[in-house]
Amino acid sequence: MIIAKRALPRRTILRGIGTTLALPLLDAMVPALTAAAQTAAKPVRRLGVVYIPNGMVMQKWTPSSDGVGFEMPETLKPLEPFRSKMLVLSGLNNTPPPLDSGAGVHARASTRFLTAVPPKRSDTSAVEAAISIDQLAARMLGSETQLASLEVAIEGRDLAGSCDIGFSCAYTNTISWRGPTTPLPMENDPRAVFERLFGGSESTDRAARLARLQANRSILDSVSSRIGDFQRRIGSRDRAKLAEYLDAVRDIERRIQNAEQQSARELPVVEQPPGIPASFEAHARLMFDLQLLAYQTDLTRVITFMMGRELSGRTFPQIGVVESHHATSHHQNDPVKLANLQKIKAHHAELFAYYVEKLNATPDGDGSLLDHMMILFGAGMSDSNAHSGNNLPVTIVGGGSGSIRGGRHLKYPPGTPMGNLLLAMLDKLGVPGVERIGDSTRRLEHLSDI
Amino acid sequence: MRKLGTVLKCLRLVAPCVLLLAAAAACSGASGADRKLLDQYCINCHNARLKTGGLSLEARDIDITAVGANAEVWERVGRKLRSGQMPPAGLPRLDQAVADAFLSRLEDSLDQAAAAAPNPGRPAVHRLNRTEYANAIRDLLALDIDGHALLPADDTDQHGFDNNSEVLSISPALLERYLSAARKVSRLALGSVKAPAIDTFEISKLLMQDDRESERLPFGSRGGAAFPYYFPVDGEYSFKIRLQKTLYNAVRGLADPNTLEVRLDRERIKTFTVGGAKVNPPPASFAGTISWNPEWEKYATQADAGMEFRIKVKAGTRTIGVSFVKQSWEPEDVQQPRRSGWGYETDEMYDGSPGVESVTIEGPLAAAGAGDTASRRKIFVCQPEKAERERGCAKTILTTLAHRAYRRPATAADVETLLGFYDLGRADGGFEAGIEMALQRVLVSPDFLFRIELDKDNEVPGKAYPLTDLELASRLSFFLWSSIPDDELLAAAERGALRKPGELERQVKRMLRDPRSRALVDNFAAQWLQLRDIRSAIPDPDLFPEFDENLREAFRRETELFLQAQFSEDRSVTELLTANYTFVNERLARHYGIPNVYGSRFRRVALNNPEQRGGLLGQGSILTLTSYPNRTSPVLRGKWLLENILGTPPPPPPPNVPALRDKGPEGQRQSVRERLQEHRKNPACSGCHAQMDPLGFALENFDAIGTWRTADESGSPIDASGSLTGAADFQGLAGLRTLLLSRREQFVSTVAERLLSFALGRSVEYYDRPALRKILRDAKTSDDRWSALILEIVQSLPFQMRKAES
Repeated sequence: MIIAKRALPRRTILRGIGTTLALPLLDAMVPALTAAAQTAAKPVRRLGVVYIPNGMVMQKWTPSSDGVGFEMPETLKPLEPFRSKMLVLSGLNNTPPPLDSGAGVHARASTRFLTAVPPKRSDTSAVEAAISIDQLAARMLGSETQLASLEVAIEGRDLAGSCDIGFSCAYTNTISWRGPTTPLPMENDPRAVFERLFGGSESTDRAARLARLQANRSILDSVSSRIGDFQRRIGSRDRAKLAEYLDAVRDIERRIQNAEQQSARELPVVEQPPGIPASFEAHARLMFDLQLLAYQTDLTRVITFMMGRELSGRTFPQIGVVESHHATSHHQNDPVKLANLQKIKAHHAELFAYYVEKLNATPDGDGSLLDHMMILFGAGMSDSNAHSGNNLPVTIVGGGSGSIRGGRHLKYPPGTPMGNLLLAMLDKLGVPGVERIGDSTRRLEHLSDI
Repeated sequence: MRKLGTVLKCLRLVAPCVLLLAAAAACSGASGADRKLLDQYCINCHNARLKTGGLSLEARDIDITAVGANAEVWERVGRKLRSGQMPPAGLPRLDQAVADAFLSRLEDSLDQAAAAAPNPGRPAVHRLNRTEYANAIRDLLALDIDGHALLPADDTDQHGFDNNSEVLSISPALLERYLSAARKVSRLALGSVKAPAIDTFEISKLLMQDDRESERLPFGSRGGAAFPYYFPVDGEYSFKIRLQKTLYNAVRGLADPNTLEVRLDRERIKTFTVGGAKVNPPPASFAGTISWNPEWEKYATQADAGMEFRIKVKAGTRTIGVSFVKQSWEPEDVQQPRRSGWGYETDEMYDGSPGVESVTIEGPLAAAGAGDTASRRKIFVCQPEKAERERGCAKTILTTLAHRAYRRPATAADVETLLGFYDLGRADGGFEAGIEMALQRVLVSPDFLFRIELDKDNEVPGKAYPLTDLELASRLSFFLWSSIPDDELLAAAERGALRKPGELERQVKRMLRDPRSRALVDNFAAQWLQLRDIRSAIPDPDLFPEFDENLREAFRRETELFLQAQFSEDRSVTELLTANYTFVNERLARHYGIPNVYGSRFRRVALNNPEQRGGLLGQGSILTLTSYPNRTSPVLRGKWLLENILGTPPPPPPPNVPALRDKGPEGQRQSVRERLQEHRKNPACSGCHAQMDPLGFALENFDAIGTWRTADESGSPIDASGSLTGAADFQGLAGLRTLLLSRREQFVSTVAERLLSFALGRSVEYYDRPALRKILRDAKTSDDRWSALILEIVQSLPFQMRKAES
């Protein structure tokens, strides 16, 4: 993927082993395409979810002080510049009473994150959870966009097999559920994501796009006239069938026309990525860039992203951690292992901050994309050594189109259900008619006020 | 009997009666008896008041002496009676001889009526489905593409066929995919690819890599895979091999050094050695949930990090082979049980053997020109030496392409259109860019994407007329090859020779000998028998730890080879049930208990115990895809047999059916048979389940992955007996086979009906029944051999003709 700033082209080449990959540098000064449609009275709302697997080092996550002016903890330091647009939330639990058994603790972390229901053992019954809030939001927010939602990840899409004792890999490989029995696979190949967003175009470059659109248009023109030749010499049912084809042709021609008009507006120039980059960092940044691009072009308003699957055993030799993520997460409070785990967590937060920075710098209506977003960033487990679902590490980043008052660390009574936050988020997103998410008891308060 | 004699005598006179609707005196006896039969057995339910099943057979509603006027109803009546579905169980049944006599009179009358007013139907405009599109590209451009990557899946009809023109719709999203597929295909075919692509081939982690895995890998190799890959241009490509890892990313089997070889078209291009380092390993079965020593972790997680290299490759399809050199020793120890499920995912299995997880190919990294590929040779039938010859050469190239792609001679208008696109591309990027642009236009043309049979001028509305030779050629090739006609077939059609005596038969036989006729196995048989479902079967790993990808693949391969043999050796269709041979490799032979089969190569073996194996119904594929993950299901198996073998699918179950109870009333464990007793007791269930369950019970000796067994899940001895109303009791596979063969005509008729539906790309309708009966009558004289059935279909009315718009 090659992304070049129009006025001042910058291009950084990453040397992979035996491969050449361009490091994406998104031109974030290009305004989002929704700008014209939105007004202060009717702002566009967007939901993002960014998930970190295998818990957190809580000592380095939880701010030592509450409320406004809290002290930014070590892990979240890279987000300091956006302090006023983020809420750190403490005290939320995702462990329903009574405590469920020790099996499937990782499956529980990822599955409950957006559903607030526990996964069912899949060796004795079918895979089952509940619809996740991103999909509830997509039902409404997705009605105006080409894609209702986008589910992306760094690691594989395989939903078969057993990944946690007695629990299907579906539970640990996704956080998004279209329905109780429909886990959504998460796409990890940037090339496929690009294709979902931009169809057959290999680039968002204006000239290339226009050339392609015009070629398609002349092909379609000539095809429709050929259909006309047939129409006179076939029966009524077949005429209906070819009319279907002709309708499809016209529909695409209309879209081409729209796209041509749109292409007059500047888009960041992005080439279709060839595939999955070799390094974790390049892959993560590329996936973040694609998410930014999807919001910016208003192709979708709901995206979930897993920076790793639950139970992930990825190693990070590039930051000096040669042991696997999961093994390290069972640190037994050994200071060396804890330090290693913290390196991994901080690394994830840094990559996330790269994304937040781009969102913040992208103008959208009367503010930035970040102002009109609500990103749930965190993990489905707190202390990984104990597989704890208590006091989850979660933050809300973004202004939520005025519905979130950031700059605070909110401490809720211990044991407050995470479902309450999910319910409140739907509320702030303007999704009506949802009264309960899993074991939620009420809407979480104070997201908008003091 | 005397009466029957009179009836038969009378039959020859029935036709004019029917046609003229004149109740000739000579016929009144027969039709009077038929009316009496209806009144006696049918109208208790099928009367004007009840109209059971939406049907009244009362004399005032329907005339048995004029069946042609109500052919649709009478065909339905005939089928229900023939298959024994009517009268339903519990009501007085007809004497078989009486029923047969009635049926033969009824069907004769229907045939006569049809002969007087033939109705071949009007297949709808047919869009090429994904398989046909990929095959057409292969035959048009000598280019193997992965249809799955380019186009979405097609909808299927009620019998699971994805080539039914009635359900093949087109949407803007699909057209966009065709546009983008056309661009990609043109670029690949011409070798104008510039941007590198990264493609990864993954090997399922449940594939045990303990043997030679492919005929395309060397003897003495172990594990890995061989696969074809299309290199679009001459140039440098990078290869990256990843080894199998545990859930926690530790490479498996590092105790001893192993040599990995990479081959390109069988030639070794690179070797790597992995394992055997002197690092303190974790204890056996270490699960990696907590970390071991960092030195080991680093070694185990990074062991395959350097398995990458770049190499120059010539454009074209090449076979990539990746495998280990087989070690000829076995570890000395107590043999451990196979690990599965969680244990398999996590145990580091340090002392096992390493396996290949994936091969990633990236490129072209340094393109060195389009190269000399089969595609380019096929496209560039001329090369312009001078610029002024370019347009002439383009015209030749595009005329040839359009001819093949459109399955007819290219018209001046076709060529004019394409040359317009050539000019457009030519102006931008030269001669080849022009050809590429025009090729894109060819590939989204309705002449290519659709099979359109144009109406003829001056045909009488509603009347049947013969297809042109060109239309017939397309029907033939899409039936037998799921692809476009080849030059020979096209030439014969253009000469108008296709209908010359013996020519059609010659072409069909030639086409069946061609490797492309594998489409009949892959598309017709696989969809008819629902074999594609074996890919998604997930037997419970805790109950069936021996089920792995090798077994799944062996199941698939066995049935595929078996079906291929049926077609290529031109067997009788009944041999699908009766064959006393099958195809196995060592893995499958072990599963079936067949001795003395060694190695991963498949071979034909004789089966000498017809009780246990023989024919499709003893094959693991069918037995697994008709089971639940954790147990057998006589219901699913019975339903599969009713649908696909006997052609009498049961209706869907009524809504709100509760699940079967796991335990008996006293909480005792119950066998599946005991639990299914519920089906017999409840009248809402028994109507259908009395037909379904017994057929499935006969296969109870096979567990949910087709292993032979004598006790079921609950530990009770297997009772594989079954009984159906109107049939002798039967026992086990052999008994079921005998039962099905006693209904040979019903079975062959089911096969013929599905094959006809596949051949026509549309549902078989009531007006096709007379043609179907003729096909069956004629094929029977050749012992129902596949070639006979296929040839009869090709020569049948609905295949040869078309009805004019009424």
